[in-house]
Parts: sequence; structure tokens; C-alpha cells
Amino acid sequence: MPLTMARTGEKTTVRGIHGKEETRRFLESLGFVEGGKVTIVSEMGGNLIVNVKDTRIALSKAMASKIMV
Amino acid sequence: MAIKLALAGNPNCGKTTMFNDLTGSSQYVGNWPGVTVEKKEGKLRGHQDVIVTDLPGIYSLSPYTLEEVVTRDYIMNEHPDVVINLVDASNIERNLYLTTQVTEMGIPVIIALNMIDIVKKNGDRIDTHKLAAALGCEVIETSAVKGAGSKEVADRAVQMARAGIMTRPQHTFSGPVEDALARIRELAADLVPAENARWYSIKLFERDARVLERLRLPADVKAELETIVSDCEKQFDDDSESIITNERYQYISGLMKSCVQKKNAGMTTSDRIDKVVTNRWLALPIFAAVMFVVYYVSVSWLGTIVTDWTNDTLFAETVQPLAGGWLEAAGAAEWLTGLVVDGIIGGVGAVLGFVPQMFILFFFLSILEDCGYMARVAFIMDRIFRKFGLSGKSFIPMLISSGCGVPGIMATRTIENEKDRRMTIMTTTFIPCGAKLPIIALIAGAVFPEITWMAPATYFFGIFMVILSGVILKKTRMFAGDPAPFVMELPQYHFPAPKGVLIHMWERGKAFIIKAGTVIFVACGVIWFLQNFGFTAGGFGMVEDENMSMLAAIGGVIAPIFAPLGFGNWQAAVASVSGLVAKENVVGTFGVLFGLGEVGEDDPALLASLPTLFATSASALAFMVFNLTCAPCFAAIGAIRREMMSAKWTWFAIGYMTGMAYIMAFIINQLGGAFFYGVPFGAGQVLALCCVAALLYLLFRSCNPDRKMRKPATVGAGA
Repeated sequence: MPLTMARTGEKTTVRGIHGKEETRRFLESLGFVEGGKVTIVSEMGGNLIVNVKDTRIALSKAMASKIMV
Repeated sequence: MAIKLALAGNPNCGKTTMFNDLTGSSQYVGNWPGVTVEKKEGKLRGHQDVIVTDLPGIYSLSPYTLEEVVTRDYIMNEHPDVVINLVDASNIERNLYLTTQVTEMGIPVIIALNMIDIVKKNGDRIDTHKLAAALGCEVIETSAVKGAGSKEVADRAVQMARAGIMTRPQHTFSGPVEDALARIRELAADLVPAENARWYSIKLFERDARVLERLRLPADVKAELETIVSDCEKQFDDDSESIITNERYQYISGLMKSCVQKKNAGMTTSDRIDKVVTNRWLALPIFAAVMFVVYYVSVSWLGTIVTDWTNDTLFAETVQPLAGGWLEAAGAAEWLTGLVVDGIIGGVGAVLGFVPQMFILFFFLSILEDCGYMARVAFIMDRIFRKFGLSGKSFIPMLISSGCGVPGIMATRTIENEKDRRMTIMTTTFIPCGAKLPIIALIAGAVFPEITWMAPATYFFGIFMVILSGVILKKTRMFAGDPAPFVMELPQYHFPAPKGVLIHMWERGKAFIIKAGTVIFVACGVIWFLQNFGFTAGGFGMVEDENMSMLAAIGGVIAPIFAPLGFGNWQAAVASVSGLVAKENVVGTFGVLFGLGEVGEDDPALLASLPTLFATSASALAFMVFNLTCAPCFAAIGAIRREMMSAKWTWFAIGYMTGMAYIMAFIINQLGGAFFYGVPFGAGQVLALCCVAALLYLLFRSCNPDRKMRKPATVGAGA
């Protein structure tokens, strides 16, 4: 399921990333890699703040829905 | 020979703070050739022969963003003697991803393990010796904010450069990948420099477009390379770039287990603050409260005190009489005294009066940015801005533009998407800047003294124009498509480093001072000359009656253009044009034109004379709207030119702003006059209604880029 549907506070594992090559590479360099852990810190109207590799990343809904967990 | 040190690292890892610490005030800020990515250089303190370069903040060395390409090219082509790689120890795992790439480039690397104080405070432990051994380069603990360790790193880097110590990357990939890399290395042995062979083989394996383009491999080598790479891809069932990425992270994960001990993985203080600050309900009220305090202090309270002091005490009571006295004592001609005291000192002084106010505002904005709150603001506003076709990152330039448009336009650099960035540049100066406040105060005071909400209303009008433009422009072919999805790292909250805040504030504010010293300095002299000299019956000379001056003649030529807007007289025309030099000139020009000398926007004589220029109050409103919305001052136009990097786009931006300003002022003057001030309904009103209809059409038309591809829509129908 897309990251947008994961519950806040729960640790999940990235299964894959959809979308354009460029987007995927950018997300990878930020730490979103297959098998990596992601936790949603907070949610605001679909936009998310997530914890990935100890960094806080803000993602819009469109971007978060490209990350499958 | 000079030693070149380069600072590389992720965004928000404290790179700029360390750079400031290392170079002090000897900085030179410019652009990397050909791109609008900032380049900062400076001399290492205490070493005249050591140059430090601050590379852009990047997450990796892939070829996908400008910043990454700039960094790569710099390291490959300019060969810095040592790269100082800053690693944010508080999120070491992600930061080391870049480190594994930097160490491959065949340049000596030293690691500054920054923000080590945060790690220690959290009770975590990092084994730096093990880490150094595993990465193949020295690791030194630092805390740039506290100024600890920076000097040590730089000194060690200089020693390394002098001693010629090399860095050998220690990390390896899995067997099959290493096999493939070895084969590629052999294949390309004659084509790439030996010291960078490792880096080139990895890039060739990744099919890096820029490297392939530069190397221009012979066809047979290319075919051979493709076989090697695709064999490996089949084995892993993944593309080559992802294989490398995953293996890098795997290597780092292994490293984490052996070198880093985490006390607990619970919520950090930063998370707890975010829980409140980015809360669904509290986020906007908190933001509004913060902004209210910032503007109240910097514009209303403290700002007014210092501005009044600068204007009234420093210039009016001290500098002007002093200069006048000197000139008289020196026996200067009357016209020269007039030029210097009233023209130049008066004009430049009026501008410098804003400087303290501007600096206080930028001081607060720098604090908000430095402590990490601004990144959250972009996140909070993204939800709202997205509805109008802009991204949350567009909000920060607009906030800064409320002080001065020049740094506001420069702040658009953080927007990666080119369309979003251009649109933000085109709309950000709609927000009234500090220099436009006197225009608002003047018109509000002279024409609408009973309406107290006039000033805030102009800000809302600015926001309205931004939204209107966002929606309209998004529906044209040039800007079609959703704003880029929002992704942004949120740095941990921390107390801002005073030095960083001050440098930041100065960088933003200095454009204003430079403007006062250069453009305005000259323009004030020119306007003073044009207005005091003219051709009379007795030939060319100083004129008593200003209606005879050259300025009146020039204004008279331009004035008819503004007639439909309700201010087709030469005074208002000249005031509007002088606003191009600097918006604060508009008020000053009126003052001079009414023969009142140096006046403030609340001068009673000026307030009394002004309404005579306008047919109705609607015309006065139109005058204000036009001057707030049209092309910004020359300094801001220059900034637009630099950021757009294209004359065509600059003209388009200026044309768009002026066109919109003209249409808005036209509608206000014609319809406002007809509905509220009894102007008879005529052709002008009909045309104004047509403009409204055209705007509504552009605003609400359905947007289908496919259809538009076949049949280009006509834009700007209202003009």
C-alpha cells in the first residue's frame, strides 16, 4: 500500500518506489530505499512528515503515494 | 601555490556555519558559471594562501540536480587539494551515503563529524576510529555552531594537502558488482585518468548520462560495457543505478551496527516541537502569531522608532544642515547646494531611512530560517498554495519580499522546479515591499483618511494578485502541469548561531544599501536636474516655474498613457516613472513637484495638494494599485534578470506585471468611478467590463493541456 495509508507512529518497510526516474533517484538519495524503515511522525491534510534514517522529511501527498510500504 | 579546500555535505549539515567560522569576513559570494547556484569562496583565517570553497548542499553525486552536477564538475575538473566532507552525526546514516561517493573521486577527503554535541546529548556513541578505518579517511569531531573543531579540521586538511596524503575508498560492493566494475575498469583503462578510475568505472556501470557524454566511448567499448552492465542487472533483477544505491546503503547499515550505539529511538525534542507546530489545527494559528510578532516589532514598534530617528534626526537635523553649511562656507553656487542637499542627500536619505526597519525584519526572518522553523512554514503553506498552482516553497520568497523584493527574488533559488521558480519570480513582487509602504500611507492618508484598514488591504490585494496570477498562468501552456511534488528535509530545531544570523541578515539587506548608494544616488541627481532646468524664452537654464521644466515636458509625453487610469497629468506620470528607480521615490517626487521640498508621506501640505491631481478617489486608488503592482524597481528587475538568466523571460515577467497592473488600475478607475463617484457610463466602462470578463474567463476556463497543444490559446486577451 502507499505510504499515505500507513498509520502515524508505526514503523513500516519500503517495498518500492514508483514514478519518474528522477523522482526515484531523489527519494533514494534522501534515504527511501527498498527494505529501509520509514515512520510517519505527523500528518497534515495528506501531507506527511516522516522519519527515515533518523532524518525528518516533509512529503506532499502526491510524493508519499509514490512510496509503497 | 595556493591550497584549495572544498566543503562538501548534505543540506542542513552545518556547512555554511563552518564556512563562516573558517573564513570570517573574507567571503566572496558569486554564481557558479552558467547556473544560478551560489558559489562562496573565502580565505582560511590565518592562512593567506588557503582558499576555502563552500560547495552546494547535496544528498548524492548523481547527475539529476544542478547542485550535484556543479559539485561533481568542481571536484573532477578543479581538483581541490582536500575535500572536507561534513557529516551530520545526528543523522549519520543518510549523510554517509554522500561520503561513500566523495571518497571514490580520487581526491583526499577528511570527514568533519559535525553536530557531535547533539549526539552526545542524546546519549548515543560513535566510534570514530572504527569509522575512520572503514571509510579510509580521517574523522574529526566538530560542532560548527559552537565553533568547536572547525579549526582543527582545516589545519589537518592543510597538512594533508602539503604532505600529499591520498584517500583510498575502503568500502566494496558485493562480488558480482565488483567483478563487473573490474571488467569495466580494464575496458576503459586507456580512456579515463588512472587516479579516478574507480569513480569512472562506477559511473559507467550506472550509465551516468553526463559521464558517457563526456567520454565519448568508441562503439565497440560501448557495446561491451552494455553487455557487462546488463548481465549484472539480470543477475540482480534491478537496474544498475539502484544496485549501486542499495549496496551503498547496505554497506552503511553494516557500518552503523559496528560503529554507532544508539541509546533509544524514541521521539526527539524536535519531534515533540513538530507535534505542536505542524499540528493540523494549531499550525496556521501559530504561524499567524509568529508572523504578527515579527511584523509588529520590525515595522510598527522598533522599526518606526529607528526609521524616524534616521529620517528626522540623523538626516533632516544633522546631515542636511551640516552639508548645507559646508557648501555655503566653501562658497558653492546655489544650484550646487540645491543639488547636493535637496536632490542627493534628501533622496538617498529617504531610502536609507528604511534600512534599519528592513534589517530588523531580515534579522527575525534569518532567526526563523536558521532555527529550522521556515522549513516547517513551507510545509504548512504547501497545502494551501498547491490549490493555486504554487508550491509551499514559493511562500518563503514572498515573505522575504514583504521586506525587499531583491532578496525575495534571490530566495526563489531553493525551488528546484523551473516552472515553479519562474512563476514565483513573476509574482513575488506583487507583495508590497517596505519601499512601497509610503505610497500606501500617502494615498490612504490623502484620499481615504477615514478608512483605517487600507494598509492591510493592500497586502491582501498583493496576495490576491499572486493567487490570480497563479491560477491564470498555470492554465497557459508555459506553466501547465501540477507544481512539483513537495519533498523537503526538515532540519532539527536548534538555537541559531548569532554569526550566521547576522551574516544572513547582512546579505539580504545589503542590496538595499547598494541601491541607495548607486542607482538612487544618480537618479536623484538626474531628477533634480530635469526638474530645475528647462528651455525658456531666454534659452536653456534654471527655471522658476516647474511646469516649464524638462521633467514636465517628458511627463507630458508619457501622461496620456495613464489617462484611462485616471491620472493623465505629468506629475503623476513622472512619479510613477520615478518609482522604477526606487518605489520610495514616488512620494519624494510628489513632494518636490508640489514645491514642498523634502516631505514625509504624512505631511499635511502634501496630503492637501495631492487629491487635486486625481479626477476621483477611484483614480487615486488606481494610481496606488498601479504603482504597487507594475514593474518593480531597477534593483529588483536586475535580480529578476539574474535569476531568470534570460532576457526573454525578464521582459515577459516585467511585461506581465505591468500589463496586469494596467488592467487592474483601469478596471478600478473606470468601474469605481462609475459606481461610486457618478462618472457617466461610457466606452471606458464597457471596455473595463470586457477586461473583467476576460480575466474571469482566464481564471475559470477549463484547463486541458492536450487540447491546447492542438489549438494554442490566446493569452492576455484583456490587454
